[in-house]
Amino acid sequence: MEYLIIIVSAVFVNNFVLSQILGICPFLGVSKKIDTSVGMGIAVTFVMGVASVFTYALNAYVLTPLNLEYIQTIVFILVIAVLVQIAEIIIKRFSSTLYNALGVYLPLITTNCAVLGVALINVTPSLNYNLLSAFVNGVFSGVGFTLALVLMAGIREKTVTSDVPRAFRGFPIALITAGIMSMAFLAFSGMV
Amino acid sequence: MNLLNVLLPAIILISLAIIFSAILAVLSEKLAVKENEKIKEIQSLLSGANCGACGYAGCKSFAEALVSGKADINTCNATSIENKKKIAEILNITSFSTNETIAVVACNGGNNTENKFDYQGFTDCKSAALVSGGYKACAYGCLGGGTCANVCNSDAASINCQNIGEINRSLCVKCGLCVNACPKRIIKFIPASAKVYVKCSNHNKGAAVKNICSKGCIACGLCAKICPENAVTLIDNLPEIDYTKCVGCGLCAQKCPTEVITQL
Repeated sequence: MEYLIIIVSAVFVNNFVLSQILGICPFLGVSKKIDTSVGMGIAVTFVMGVASVFTYALNAYVLTPLNLEYIQTIVFILVIAVLVQIAEIIIKRFSSTLYNALGVYLPLITTNCAVLGVALINVTPSLNYNLLSAFVNGVFSGVGFTLALVLMAGIREKTVTSDVPRAFRGFPIALITAGIMSMAFLAFSGMV
Repeated sequence: MNLLNVLLPAIILISLAIIFSAILAVLSEKLAVKENEKIKEIQSLLSGANCGACGYAGCKSFAEALVSGKADINTCNATSIENKKKIAEILNITSFSTNETIAVVACNGGNNTENKFDYQGFTDCKSAALVSGGYKACAYGCLGGGTCANVCNSDAASINCQNIGEINRSLCVKCGLCVNACPKRIIKFIPASAKVYVKCSNHNKGAAVKNICSKGCIACGLCAKICPENAVTLIDNLPEIDYTKCVGCGLCAQKCPTEVITQL
């Protein structure tokens, strides 16, 4: 039951993009095609899941015993950067199509505040997460991110062919769409 | 102040960094991807205009497609002939055209042409052409909406004071985007060596043209008669210049009563 609440919370109620407004750069940058957005979502989910485990373990078993919580941010960024590099090497090796499609946004996961956000939320003392719940939270935050990205990509694929007023064409309509989606996700608030 | 308090975080960070860099070094070595040398070489020979007229995202994707044999070097108009030859050598192909071209707008109408009706929609030519073939009385005439200027990545196409599309030869990279974008299909490629060209696309008979446009070809045929090399022939009420025969004397341009044949 505890994990179910974490999952629902991570995917819908506290959706990283649409409720917490984190990770907007890839959300707007890679949401032009559904294929690419799914690839990006999987990459981010992978990084978030693994980063959650590593950062939580580092924090719980190294930093906390030594009273070094204040270097959390820099250590977490280091871990995330390495994981992104590993993800990049793996994707480049096994799917050059996905690698080309993600382009500059793949290294940008490093500075994706959603990834750092999930790492920092996992170690918030008031939440009292253990290693497993941190991992579940990380993976499903990534799933929530993917959901938002794919929904956005679906809508944007439609807006390309529809008759958008000239002043709103391109980026403005994407921002308005994101705003309306965010309002729609507000309906989940208070569920958990 | 305890020295350990300062050293400990530094030691932890440094040791983490060392571990991580070791992992990355091993992984990048084991999973390295070999990039094709040909792609880089070809990319450096391509024009670098990144115009997208070949149908690929940019010169890099085009180079990749060339190496894998999916693309045809002839679809790139922006690259110079010498570089195309070098690319063909790298790829071991011989089938490429050696004609340098330039793009010209084959219409002299603009403000000289009557309007069929008062058009009040989007100024874009593609929209304008949807309403009964455009608001110009001439079915072949430039609509002056600037679609060519909008698609041009190198600022070569523009609408001049006569409300006709115009292509700046020094800026044009010959990518052909405007040629494909023009709904009236009046932007054409002609050989770069051409000295004259026919600046009208109207295939109607003289009287019909005369009624609607003061600068249209009236199919009088003077150009065909005057040409000493027999390079000009009147086909479907419009002169056609055989550039293999044309010597560029300019007699046709001087004789043309409506200034349709233009000297470059």
